[in-house]
Amino acid sequence: MAYRLGVDVGGTFTDLMLVHDESGQIFRVKTPSTPADPSEGVLSGVRRILEESGVAPGDLSYVMHGTTVATNAVLEGKGARVGLITTRGFEQILHLARSQTPGPLAGWMIMIKPDPPAALEDTRPAHERMDARGNVVEALDDEQVGRVVEDLVASGVETLTVSLINSYANPAHERRIKALIAERYPGFPVTISSDVLPEFREYERTLTACMNSYVRPKVAGYVKNLENALGDLGLSCAVNILRSDAGLMSLETTQEKPVYGILSGPSGGVAGALAVASRAGFDDILTFDMGGTSTDVALCQNAQPTITRETELGHFRVKVPSVNVHSVGAGGGSIAHVPELTKALRVGPQSAGAVPGPACYSKGGTEPAVTDANVVVGHLPPSLIGGEMTLDTAAAETAVRTVGDALGLEVHQAAQGILDIVNENMAGALRLVSVQRGYDPRDFALVAFGGAGPLHANAVAKLMGSFPVLVPPGPGLLCAEGDLVADFREEFARTFIRTAGSATSEEVVSTLRELGEEANDWLEREGIAADRRSITWSVDMRYYRQGYEIPVTVTLEDLEAHGISLLVERFNSLHEQFYGYAMPAECEMVNLRAIGIGKVPHPRVQEAQEAGGPDPAAAATAQHQVYADGTWLPSTIYDRAKLRAGHRIPGPAIIAEYDSTTVVLAGHHAVIDRFLNILIYPDEA
Amino acid sequence: MQGVKIAQIPDLEIDPITLDIIEGALKNARHEMDAVLFRTAMSPVIREQHDEFPMITDPLGRMVVGQFGSYISEMMAAYPDTIEPGDVILTNDPYKCGGAISHVNDWLILVPIFFQDELVGWASMFGHMMDMGGPLPGSLPTGAKTIHGEAMMIPPVKIFRRGEPVDDVIAMILNNVRMPEMNRADMMGIVAGCRTAEKRVIEICDRFGKDTYLAACQALLDRTLTAMRKLILQNIPEEPQSFEDWVDDDGLGHGPYKMKLTIWREGDHAYFDWSGTDPQAVGPINFYLNEGMFKMFIGVYLIMVFDPQILFNDGFYPLLHVIIPDGSLLHPKYPAALGCRTHALTRLFDVLGGALARKSPEHTTAAGYGTSPYMLYSGFDREGDFFYLMEISYGGIPGRPIGDGMDGHSWWPLFENIPTEYLESYYPVRIDGYTTIRDSGGAGLHRGGNGIEKRYVYLEPGEVSIHDDRWLTYPWGILGGTPGRRSEKLLKRADGTEQRLPSKCDEVAVSPGDMLVYRTAGGGGWKDPLERPIEKVEADVAKGLVSTQKAADEYGVIVGDGEATVARREALRTARGTARDFDTGPDIEDILARCEEETGLPAPVRQKPLAWAKMETPEEAMRRVREQDARTS
Repeated sequence: MAYRLGVDVGGTFTDLMLVHDESGQIFRVKTPSTPADPSEGVLSGVRRILEESGVAPGDLSYVMHGTTVATNAVLEGKGARVGLITTRGFEQILHLARSQTPGPLAGWMIMIKPDPPAALEDTRPAHERMDARGNVVEALDDEQVGRVVEDLVASGVETLTVSLINSYANPAHERRIKALIAERYPGFPVTISSDVLPEFREYERTLTACMNSYVRPKVAGYVKNLENALGDLGLSCAVNILRSDAGLMSLETTQEKPVYGILSGPSGGVAGALAVASRAGFDDILTFDMGGTSTDVALCQNAQPTITRETELGHFRVKVPSVNVHSVGAGGGSIAHVPELTKALRVGPQSAGAVPGPACYSKGGTEPAVTDANVVVGHLPPSLIGGEMTLDTAAAETAVRTVGDALGLEVHQAAQGILDIVNENMAGALRLVSVQRGYDPRDFALVAFGGAGPLHANAVAKLMGSFPVLVPPGPGLLCAEGDLVADFREEFARTFIRTAGSATSEEVVSTLRELGEEANDWLEREGIAADRRSITWSVDMRYYRQGYEIPVTVTLEDLEAHGISLLVERFNSLHEQFYGYAMPAECEMVNLRAIGIGKVPHPRVQEAQEAGGPDPAAAATAQHQVYADGTWLPSTIYDRAKLRAGHRIPGPAIIAEYDSTTVVLAGHHAVIDRFLNILIYPDEA
Repeated sequence: MQGVKIAQIPDLEIDPITLDIIEGALKNARHEMDAVLFRTAMSPVIREQHDEFPMITDPLGRMVVGQFGSYISEMMAAYPDTIEPGDVILTNDPYKCGGAISHVNDWLILVPIFFQDELVGWASMFGHMMDMGGPLPGSLPTGAKTIHGEAMMIPPVKIFRRGEPVDDVIAMILNNVRMPEMNRADMMGIVAGCRTAEKRVIEICDRFGKDTYLAACQALLDRTLTAMRKLILQNIPEEPQSFEDWVDDDGLGHGPYKMKLTIWREGDHAYFDWSGTDPQAVGPINFYLNEGMFKMFIGVYLIMVFDPQILFNDGFYPLLHVIIPDGSLLHPKYPAALGCRTHALTRLFDVLGGALARKSPEHTTAAGYGTSPYMLYSGFDREGDFFYLMEISYGGIPGRPIGDGMDGHSWWPLFENIPTEYLESYYPVRIDGYTTIRDSGGAGLHRGGNGIEKRYVYLEPGEVSIHDDRWLTYPWGILGGTPGRRSEKLLKRADGTEQRLPSKCDEVAVSPGDMLVYRTAGGGGWKDPLERPIEKVEADVAKGLVSTQKAADEYGVIVGDGEATVARREALRTARGTARDFDTGPDIEDILARCEEETGLPAPVRQKPLAWAKMETPEEAMRRVREQDARTS
């Protein structure tokens, strides 16, 4: 009997999902998160789910875990004290950063510069130098470096980073310094930049390596505690951590390279959405995760998330492979206001947060939040099924009226206006990940989750032309599902800056093959059976001296058969797709990459029973009214728990469940599929 | 421009929600223009350093969103040909677009936006080309005496006609530049950016209707006008306020050049008068200041504080009146050389800030490193291939009300430095070090940022150009803050000899192993350094950003000794007396007298006005502007 457990720690709740490998039987548990020591929440959740399911700890074959320990360390500025060793002359690398100040003009006047992950006073020079081709210009001075290391460790740094100029071309000096540190201080945590990000651009590489050091002691401590505690509960299986690119890594890798898991949270949501959508027959999706203060969107094609190699965390751009999630600072708690100066209606960036929260929560909030606007137009009925709290409609109206008065609009119009603006902002974010990257959003389904996603999804889909809208059951539990379906994933890259004309396909193939072998070795070490391993290759390409690369996927066989011209051809057509033109200019390769994937068996999910007809009347709980285009329309409220596969719900309608509310607009209808997903489509014209 | 059906702007009431949605869509379109260009451009100046400017206009050419000003109506009035969908117009001639671009390196592209058969607006964008041909790589010779000595000028011409490239014209242009592939890529990137905006505007017209879109554009312009009216009344005094500062030299041994601005208010209209500014320079430091561009600069300073989400546009332009005497440094007569206008462009902000500061000193900053320092290096490598590197450097950001000025950052938004690993991969150069200069920031309650020291070691024989300023005059401090340190350039030859280089020079021959030490200026300090918290001064010392010497001399802090610090601060306070509003360092005459001794370079000499470019008197300039206003209102 083999069970799999997905555990996702979010800001408020820790979600757990237990699946039986053969039967597909599922158990879910949601417990409050314990931010001070997240492992406590995890343990109480694990205890509870084992209890409720009656599964013995020894029957668990895998535990997959998404954690925000690293993310929070960065966002809260509570990482380790990091010592940094750089090439002499570049000690101020993090202090200078990219010298950038924000727009618009005069943006420098209000810029707040964050403290870098390694302080200037904890940075020391190494006497050494490589050139851009990896030749030694100045040999490493072992003795000088030894002194620097001793000095730093004596000063009290908790971890060390070594990042030298041109180490991407030749990591020998970084490795030597690592060895020198190990000789003096065995076991002292050291991150060398060529291990974490063997690519050119020294600031980004140094920052990423320092971020790794910065979160490392915290993550390592957490992971060890968790491992021990789970062991005490009687679990004997491997625990794996979800990476920012929705792949898995072992606890051992996690302790070495925690920076790879820095966006574990959002990637779990995307992976979960993808798993649900794919099962329902939709491989091309836009994910729409709208929470209280922010909204994350992403594009997935052919059942794969798009991966980016740079991600923003707080004030920093960290270069690790991540699911390309675009985040906007607007959600259900965003506050609407009308600046005196311009009389424009603005929504956000201020948020009502959990305290005082939107006015309708009756916790002292008086400013109009997006949630209040939803209450005013009837999208959120005053009392929700299973919900412990009722919403104060009068308070919501009073709050929204302040905006209406400033604009000269009646309260319902003002509420509709707030929703229109926020939906437009959401559509703007979705356009960014689709239209701007050369994808037509009408070819994608929209998967809505998070507390507020299902409330807004229909309206946003209407703006984007992205149908159907898919709302999975328990839209708040998707991340744990994402953890469960993740595969092992790791990238092996080498910078290889050569024009297409000056490299031979043999060189490229042999380098890619070596990288593939590294990937295979890694999969071996992670304990993945040979028949579950796969390796894909890609080459980052651009026109000669462009600054941004497009990854071009290729197989070694094709490359051997057709040569480098195949890469050029594919690159040109991608450039055309993304930017609308290709050029007769020379192309160059920048990075060669092998991606190792270790497949994890996916859980089978039970299908629901057909209702035996489309009429959802049995699930209707109340009659209600919603405001749209200046009038009130009669609508029905349904209890999602009572909806069955095959039901068809005409809009306007409200579908309520424990942790979320789905709105079906007039002119649209929803159908319930065999996995109990809600699918919303526009009515035929 | 003939035979074009220009859409009428309807007199239509528009609901506030639709307006805000269209505003958001236009903002997104503008950012998309940038994104497309950055991802496709080849020259590091555009791509890594983001030297480019987008905008979208209404049918009358007024900027509805963007970063520069209206010039299209003026420029297109003189355009002889018709305009059709799919056309793309290119120019780099500052004298043919009212100074919308201010040197020939900037390629300005215009794409008309048609909805059905009517012109509903323009998408436009310009970007700095690494090279535009002419006598020197980079096309910014410091010795040019007319614009014809800089590079080829392209009048407004079509490079695409009805969507098809005009290959003859493109070939002619690219034949004149040193790296045609790079110019082609950057040009195509700009066209792609404009086309993106075109697509978005058409989508908005499709979705809301053309009339609603155009009425929204008008309403957005009106909204900015109303907002600005309030800001003018709040911030601009009726009593005239003046401020003056200097550009150090013109690259030909003349200087310094005074820039003077006087500001006052009449009702809800504000006047910005540059009378008192020196006549145009012989050398290429003239800055052909587009009035619309200057109005935008003013607006940004005033508006951003109050509703940073506002869509920045032309709407408030009728409330601002700009007087720039013809034949002055800021409005030179053709064919004055313009290549190195970046010094005057930057000083303009120092002067504007200084003039506004007189009314509300608490809200303004000190002066920064004061220019865009360039380093250019070109030659032929041992394979016989031409190489050419141009890099923009940064310096000390001034002390600000919100906090210290950043060390070695860019005052212009979004510019970035070029990674050392990029430089070393593509150019025969090694960077020996890249750091900020200890003590170069002025002292203050909020200290000025340190300038940058970058050490270039050249690996191939070639020629170097330098463009910098603030080597002579100081970035001033404000309200007790002291000035930042000046810039300097040192060439350390492989043979052990050393040479001071002027801040503006060309064709300096370098050999393998020679090292250029390029130091930019620091920023001035903000308010009294004796009030700076001791722990902050000590932290700066620990970081190596301030020396113990400077801590003692200017901050009165004896590191690690609280008692001595109290005494020292008291002594300094007594010795100094009342803090100065502006500390610009020694008097200009003193600076000139000690120039050679302090900088190792001969003092510049004041230039006689050019006989062929007689400058308007202040009265003539004022009369011209008043008459113009009377005609348009």
